[in-house]
Amino acid sequence: MKVAITGLTACSGCQLTLLNCEDELPELLALCELVYFPLAESGNVLDVQFDAAIVEGAVSTPKDLELLFKLRNASSVLVAYGTCALFGGVAAMNNTTSARTDLLHTVFGDAQKMPDSFAPAPLHNYVSVDAAVTGCPPEKQEILEMVAALAAGTTPPTRSYPVCTECRSRENLCLLLEKKELCLGPVVQGGCNARCPATGIVCEGCRGPVREANVAQELELLLERGFGRDEIERRMSRFKPEWNYGQRR
Amino acid sequence: MGSVVEIAPLTRLEGHGRLRVYREGGRVERIELQFVDSPRLFEALLVGKGFAEVPEIVCRICALCSTVHKVTALLAVEDTFGVEVSEVTALTRELVLQAGMIQDHALHLYCLVLPDLLGVRGVAELARVAPELLKTGLAIKKAGNMILETAGGRLIHPVNICLGGLGRCLNKKELTRLRDELHKVLPAAQEAHRLFSTPFPFPELPKPDFLALQPSERPLAGRLCQMADGSSFPLPEYRQHIKETVLDYSNAKLSRVLGKEATVGAQARLHLAPDLEPFAAQLFSAHRHELIGKDMRGNNLAQAIEMCHATERALSLVDRLIELGPQRAEAPQIHPRAGTGCGACEAPRGTLIHSYSFDPQGICTRADVITPTALNQGALARDLFALARGMEGEETNRMTTALERLIRCYDPCISCSVHILSL
Repeated sequence: MKVAITGLTACSGCQLTLLNCEDELPELLALCELVYFPLAESGNVLDVQFDAAIVEGAVSTPKDLELLFKLRNASSVLVAYGTCALFGGVAAMNNTTSARTDLLHTVFGDAQKMPDSFAPAPLHNYVSVDAAVTGCPPEKQEILEMVAALAAGTTPPTRSYPVCTECRSRENLCLLLEKKELCLGPVVQGGCNARCPATGIVCEGCRGPVREANVAQELELLLERGFGRDEIERRMSRFKPEWNYGQRR
Repeated sequence: MGSVVEIAPLTRLEGHGRLRVYREGGRVERIELQFVDSPRLFEALLVGKGFAEVPEIVCRICALCSTVHKVTALLAVEDTFGVEVSEVTALTRELVLQAGMIQDHALHLYCLVLPDLLGVRGVAELARVAPELLKTGLAIKKAGNMILETAGGRLIHPVNICLGGLGRCLNKKELTRLRDELHKVLPAAQEAHRLFSTPFPFPELPKPDFLALQPSERPLAGRLCQMADGSSFPLPEYRQHIKETVLDYSNAKLSRVLGKEATVGAQARLHLAPDLEPFAAQLFSAHRHELIGKDMRGNNLAQAIEMCHATERALSLVDRLIELGPQRAEAPQIHPRAGTGCGACEAPRGTLIHSYSFDPQGICTRADVITPTALNQGALARDLFALARGMEGEETNRMTTALERLIRCYDPCISCSVHILSL
């Protein structure tokens, strides 16, 4: 299958995770014809029809949009690859609290020519997205699933259970209830096998919201444990700017 | 008649960049190296965040260097609040930095540079024409990655290395597994220099002004910035000695160090701080004449030597950690206070500096990051111009191939560099 892999406003971590599948890489490469993959290939071509475009990163510049539209038009399947592509990610964390122009002024000063840039947003704000893989970065396993699914002419499976499900099954100490730490496990999508809580570190929410998250309950739990609303919102918005804090299903 | 040759996008490097060569008749008039990654504005995003959040957020500047960004940010925050860490923590941090060096150099050399040497497009074609070489490179990379995954808790954006300590200590079984893996790839790391000592068929380039951190008791982290001409300055004074200008064609600022366009990275380190493990030291002395006093064309060879050094060094660190045994030191309570601190590490691509200011509650009021690629930008542009001039009259294709190859010598990381700070 003809594949395009690229990044918009991002850190290249999702693309790098693909290259980090060292054992499986030769097999993955055999499944794909990498027609456009500037991170690891020269001689890239954009003006062809792709079977799949795998796109990491948020959209925050006219250039991002231009590339995204080109890929959408040229690809049968478009995959939002990673948390930034899916939710906006770290680049979007201040979308609800600061104006983009203020952020630009903080960084570039007043007298300078400003780069063309707007508030970072996920891919689905601009184009239709056929499949998604979450994570900052995604797990290797999820990437293998994605490429295998695309090669088989289908889309990768989605998960709809929170980090807590995997954390409990690993029998980790509950950092939220037993250590009263600011853990976002209950409202964040699983699939990472509770990677961070298993090392004794709270879930920082890098995989974005799980479907049917009980956000109101999480907020209440954290407020009861003495965390300030500001701190909680700051933490929740690290990878996704907007949460519905009244949501309770 | 003027003409412009454009290479866009630059490939087999991290981030989005392009190069324009402006010609007048046969003459190369000027070049523009453009780092066009979307501005990610980390320095602005960090303002208003709590001190504990800063390292977790800022490591997302870049995936390839997320480990070294995290460690440097931890050092800067700890410097602000006067936090000391235990020996196990310090050793584990150095271990992940060395692992970052192994995996990053292996990725760069075997996946991004090797295609140039074999005349192929990239990693997919490599898998067909040189599967064994690619496998060797991937095996070395995997050993580095295994350390990052085990000691860092995650390969990219590591979580286990945190303020004042570690999420958890590594146990003996894990450390033994890492030791076995490192032993397995050591011979390949020791042989890598053979591939990358191939001389570059380019004209000679201007002599670089190398800059690296003077190693302290913790290799790869330091508090003194040293230039090859002997001049130096203490890290906390870096703002007085590193001057930055905004370029209207690039989203990364141009840095000058002590008035010079400094060059950082593997070759700079070998010029300034060659405290190498035994086998790497032998390699270095065998290749000395190709490296010392030479231009950046030797940087990939220098990376191969460093990759060997990092493998040997990681083995010693693992051995020392096994000897010490898991010591679960309670992470110190951190009491925020108003202040400013800084930290610096040698990232795979060169010197990386972080500095933060906090208010009395520990909320970040100012963030400043100077990355190796931002430091290298001026020297890279200068070398590209010299190379383009030196190849006037050559076929355009030959010239652009050479220019791209020179860019890869610098191993630029554009995402990292496009994080400009307030003026």
